[in-house]
Amino acid sequence: MTVETLRGQRVLVAADAEGLVPGQTLASARALYPGLIALEADPAGDIAALRALAVWAERYTPLAVAETEQDHGLWLEITGCAHLFGGEIALLADLRARLTRHGLPACLAIAGTAGAAWALARTDGQDGAIIPNEAAEAALAPLPLAALRLEGRCIAGLRRLGVRTIGDLARLPRGDIAARFGPLPMSRLDQALGRAAEAIAWPHPPAPFLETLVFAEPIGTAEDLVRALDALAERLCARLDAAAAGGLRFVARFFRVDHTTREIAVIAARPVREAAYVAKLLGMKLETVDPGFGVEAITLAAEETATLSATQAEAFAVADELDQLAAVVDRLSNDIGAERIWRPAPFASHVPEQAVTRLPALTTAPAWERDPTQPRPIRLLRRPEPIEVTAPVPDDPPILFRWRRRVHRVRAATGPERIAREWWQERQRSASDQINERQRSASDQINERQRSASDQTNERQRSASDQTNERQRSASDLDNRPETDLLRDYYQVEDADGARFWVFRAGLHGGDHAPRWFLHGLFG
Amino acid sequence: MPAHLAFLRERAGPGLAYAGALPFGDARVDGCFPPQMGGLPLGALHEIGAEGRGAETGELPAAFAATLIAGICGSLRGRGQAPVLWVATVPDLYPPGLPGLDPARLVLVNPRNEAGVLAALEIALRAGGFAAVVGEVGAMDRVASRRLAFACQKHGVTAFVLRRWPHGNRVPDRQASAAATRWVLAPAPRLGPRLGPWGRWQVTLTHVRGGRGGSWLMEVPSDIDSARAGGKTVPVRVVAALADHTITAPPDPRGSVADARVAGNRQAAGDG
Repeated sequence: MTVETLRGQRVLVAADAEGLVPGQTLASARALYPGLIALEADPAGDIAALRALAVWAERYTPLAVAETEQDHGLWLEITGCAHLFGGEIALLADLRARLTRHGLPACLAIAGTAGAAWALARTDGQDGAIIPNEAAEAALAPLPLAALRLEGRCIAGLRRLGVRTIGDLARLPRGDIAARFGPLPMSRLDQALGRAAEAIAWPHPPAPFLETLVFAEPIGTAEDLVRALDALAERLCARLDAAAAGGLRFVARFFRVDHTTREIAVIAARPVREAAYVAKLLGMKLETVDPGFGVEAITLAAEETATLSATQAEAFAVADELDQLAAVVDRLSNDIGAERIWRPAPFASHVPEQAVTRLPALTTAPAWERDPTQPRPIRLLRRPEPIEVTAPVPDDPPILFRWRRRVHRVRAATGPERIAREWWQERQRSASDQINERQRSASDQINERQRSASDQTNERQRSASDQTNERQRSASDLDNRPETDLLRDYYQVEDADGARFWVFRAGLHGGDHAPRWFLHGLFG
Repeated sequence: MPAHLAFLRERAGPGLAYAGALPFGDARVDGCFPPQMGGLPLGALHEIGAEGRGAETGELPAAFAATLIAGICGSLRGRGQAPVLWVATVPDLYPPGLPGLDPARLVLVNPRNEAGVLAALEIALRAGGFAAVVGEVGAMDRVASRRLAFACQKHGVTAFVLRRWPHGNRVPDRQASAAATRWVLAPAPRLGPRLGPWGRWQVTLTHVRGGRGGSWLMEVPSDIDSARAGGKTVPVRVVAALADHTITAPPDPRGSVADARVAGNRQAAGDG
């Protein structure tokens, strides 16, 4: 059995002994069974295990998903798959047998909609039910409201009205229910009865462009895998061609004989449907696939597609610059990640580190304006580095500064160029500060309430959490110091060797903080 | 014997063939390259380093490479806006500060490590279509440099490797490289209290295949942005050490014996 701490009490989450129910306190459970073994609940681990089970369940259908929001369970869309296992009854029996063999007792049900199957699988005495669409209404009518995936508050409210079963709910006027309890009860009812569609986020959504290759004998050598990928790419690209589409993301899945799957995914910067090109992109990643004892089947899917007309495809044959660039960008993005290849673009900001933005590499080159009166360095340090400075007059450029343990004697300097943080960003920042402040006071209030309603243990916890709050607050105050943000006076200085630096003084004399000097860039 | 040699030459093909040359427009610099080139070889691998602290931050090599690429872009008339690929692990290149080179041509790549930089350079060279590719690496072994040099020559794209090891990294061992030229840059102070828009560099050509080295003071002209549209030479000028102006180039030292030297050098280059 597992337990978790809820409002200072240890309560049961799951139990496997007579007389114990979830929600019971650990103390009362111990009174019944003095020798019981309590384990800490691990919700994240449960969900991960359920997701792994969903992947395993893809042996029955490609559409299998772990449902973790309302109550943990699995959904399998077996439309068109049941006959492969000898019908729905046989499929259910096979699934139950395999789960039991793994030590996983399960409640199973088959219905025409996800909602109806959910309701049946979670009702006592309905385990193993197979309900066809036309019988759904009659089968669901006697089930309790809890089978409709509604919130506890909503169920309690309906109970007060005397609504106990799904059939009771179906008999009530729709408008009144919606006015009182919102649209959810009726839409859940409609979804369970198949009157309204329900969108389910399948982890592997069906790709219309999917090609499969099944082998009589498992294959494992690199040459065979390459040849199979070539053949799949050929077939897939022929279908893309017929549909006037091009793929942006291709996924190849390798089904191994040990019932595990390996997959590789490649992206293209613009839609492609050249078989050789797709096979080449996939081939680059093929070495990451471990075929194990052999691969039984390979699927290749174009999971993201875009329209690609015939004339565009012909233009690809011409090796223009953009095309060559796209080939390089594709290879590099599949190697190191698409976000690491970019085109710099000017951004209307005076703050140097914000004046350059990143665009995708294949966008058209934006125009740059260079202002000769505002020299800019060729290297801009990621964050300005503090320097120790000797300046004769507070407002003058330095005559001596120390940076990275070296002393530089300034020979000549120009400036200052005053760059202030933009006032609209200043306002944004103060607004976000206010929000933070509000959140802080809210959390303080919660702490207050906790203290009044609890004992010494909580008192100790509270003081601990207050300390953390305090620490966070002082840290954010440190970040909010205005020095580097508010006002900077930039100087271009040249040292005795002729090296040129971009230094700035942050802050003004006579303010709350003494101004500090930073080095921000180097000139070529 | 000469017939035999001719036969071998014919079988070996043209050998080292560059995709042209980019003159500096100054006889003292251009004279250091092989006479049939008369300028920086294009479609070749070039290595640019810096002395002292500059090897950490690499601002001078980046600026020098930018001016060279500006010259290459000027000579690439009909190729339109061929992009320039700049590969570096540290994303501290600031495009507004590039002398001469239009930042709109830049495509920046930031691999995770130096092996990624070399791989990206080779991919780009083999694909072609770039005006030039630039990579910032600390260590480049002989094999890597030969691979890059061959890719350059085969596909006619010029590559620049900027030798740089960021602050705190171990200084890599110097290895033999297959670069066509090797340059080392150091800052040089200008005279007078006024700072011009661009710095002054002590540019040393430490190695050039089939030529001889040299060292010059160079400056980027202040009107480089307007000059970059028209020039077919590297937009730098060689200046005198003691004055803040251009020195006039002396007459070509090769003079009347140039023809003989050309023949001799060609022989040497062909054999090398």
